[in-house]
Amino acid sequence: MGGQGYLCPWVEKRYGGAGLGLEYSFIITEEMAYAGVHGLMAGLHSDIVAPYIHAFGTDVQKARWLPGCVSGDSILAVAMTEPDAGSDLSSIRTTAVRQADTYIINGEKIYISNAMLADLVVVACKTQQGSGSPHKDISLICVEEGSPGFSRGRNLEKTGWHSQDTGELIFRDCKVPAANLLGEEGKGFYYMMEKLQQERLVSAIMSQASAEAVLKMTLEFLSQQKGFRKARNEHSMSQTTIVEMATDVEIGRTFLNSLIRDHLGGGEVIKKVSMAKWWTAEMANRVASLCLDLYRDYGYLEDYKIGRFFRDVRAHPIYAGTNEIMKRIIAKVLGI
Amino acid sequence: MDFQLTGEQRDIQTAAREFALGEFDPDMAMEYDAKQEFPVSIWKKACELGFLGARFPEETGGQGCGLLDHSLIIESFCRQDSGMGTALALAGFGSEMILRHGREDQKAVILPLVARGQGIVTAAVLEEAPVFSSIETAARATDHGYVINGAKSFVTLGAMASYMIVACRSGPDAPHAQSNFLLDASLGGISISGMGDKVGMRMIPVDRITFADVMVPEDSIVGRNQGGDEQLREFLTEVRIETAAMGMGIAQGAWDRAAAYSKKRVQFGKAIVNFGAIRNKLADTYLDIQTARLITYKAAWSFDRGRPDARETLMARMAATRAAYRAAYEAVQVFGGYGYMTEAHIERFYRDAKALELLLEQAPIQRALLADQLLGEAQ
Repeated sequence: MGGQGYLCPWVEKRYGGAGLGLEYSFIITEEMAYAGVHGLMAGLHSDIVAPYIHAFGTDVQKARWLPGCVSGDSILAVAMTEPDAGSDLSSIRTTAVRQADTYIINGEKIYISNAMLADLVVVACKTQQGSGSPHKDISLICVEEGSPGFSRGRNLEKTGWHSQDTGELIFRDCKVPAANLLGEEGKGFYYMMEKLQQERLVSAIMSQASAEAVLKMTLEFLSQQKGFRKARNEHSMSQTTIVEMATDVEIGRTFLNSLIRDHLGGGEVIKKVSMAKWWTAEMANRVASLCLDLYRDYGYLEDYKIGRFFRDVRAHPIYAGTNEIMKRIIAKVLGI
Repeated sequence: MDFQLTGEQRDIQTAAREFALGEFDPDMAMEYDAKQEFPVSIWKKACELGFLGARFPEETGGQGCGLLDHSLIIESFCRQDSGMGTALALAGFGSEMILRHGREDQKAVILPLVARGQGIVTAAVLEEAPVFSSIETAARATDHGYVINGAKSFVTLGAMASYMIVACRSGPDAPHAQSNFLLDASLGGISISGMGDKVGMRMIPVDRITFADVMVPEDSIVGRNQGGDEQLREFLTEVRIETAAMGMGIAQGAWDRAAAYSKKRVQFGKAIVNFGAIRNKLADTYLDIQTARLITYKAAWSFDRGRPDARETLMARMAATRAAYRAAYEAVQVFGGYGYMTEAHIERFYRDAKALELLLEQAPIQRALLADQLLGEAQ
């Protein structure tokens, strides 16, 4: 994908990119989701992690890392979640202690996408304790493959996303140059809050596109079933279900497109993106489940790719901030 | 009106629960699930203790229990493990038809086999024609019996079965001329091939079976000749209640795990059970489960009193499998990222719940059938 320019197309030409708008990246993410190729995690690489380097990196860091991101030579991951810190991001325990011109990192990360493959990981660490606000203790540090003390833990088995690695990262007195700090010390939490908006938008795009793909393949499947129209009674009842799904999908598309426009225009999208993230994730699961019913017994056979979509989309209401967290954020914005 | 289980029923429930707790090792279940393999050793143990044939008459290796008793066993098994529970519940799939319609000599062969775990029995009903009632597998009468030709699909444990009940068209005007045949699976002309991996209920592989000039003796027919359609309806009624019991178990098992995890998992300085978002889920799904349980027990109770009620059985099937899907979906959500990992032993409940919803009759069919029952067939 890198060779053909599909990774980080929005990166400026001086760093090897195509200098295009973000919308090109979103189109690629959408097409990947239509094809059911969740596993490559190109959206995570291009539009979720690379933006951290791009937005908060120095010119030197950008010149060093971005060309590899664009070419695909350097696969990216971002490590926030820990065994005891999921939704509550501020409670992470991984520490990074500055010693002269290095950081010594200690801790463990879990459920990290691209954990096994990543060449560069943006790691959320506590660079100080007890500043009064746990949010102000967090910094983002880039850890490269081969850094002493950095190892991978288990590659975890999961419901779906089988072509993609979700694993553990282990840091034991891991030494990285102090120059790998992204942006300023103590601002990591705020950086994440900023960049999580786009992560959630990417997630919503994947959910929406998956729902569209599932509905489309189901309608194709049904049109190939010679007797589908024979069972008239049941058909007229199923018709209602299909129409309701098509309506959900259409409404989701309209909302998502307006959100993409707002985001590309640089507007504040926290409320809208949180709404889109949870609603499209839930909708994609609803559509997948109802469409499986229409596949009848074939629905549970892995030979039909709808089953894989069904398993894959179950991750959507969980990652990038659970639906419950999205609702918490929306409640805050609404002041309730 | 009495909503209490009898003392005997509570004993059955406790025994089944204890057995499942002791034998259904979650890691072992995860392995069977990954290998898409039927848990033979667990099945044998369950049979040794009499769980799977409990509803058969004593002279055929059973304990003469009712369908409600049997449902309690299935529910307890599925509550402990969705995969093992559903696998054991379906190990004797089709034996219901022998129990209700079989001749004494057929009962004497099949029921002890199922009860003692000496063999798997299955029912080959579905065909890859989209309309359920159009059975194309045909049994042609000859001087020496019947010759069967055709193909069946989605046959649970087809490759492992010692005997199978095969629904056939036995005259020109099916479904009215339809008979069910009890076949020894080793007969010549029967070939079996797997249908591949499954999304859920992976411990019960399904197979395609083709019948090429399979010669069977005349006495292979179960019950009345040309009575197959009616038998199949009755069979499906019973299976719906069993499916509902599986759904209840999966739903309750998922709920139990979600509730326990929510009390343990701390985020933002407190156990997540204290957050409204989690409490809403647990309250809503509990309501689904209890509602489904009442209909399911009622349907089983009516069945045991000799008055199976088509509406009740359909509603039980629908409510319980829907509750299972909802409860398991939300349980995965309560577990968060961990829930999506197989090692949390909750995503299996989710996949199994969906597969159960898709077993034999899917939601759109169930709903259409219920509407027919309530309103008469649409003109």
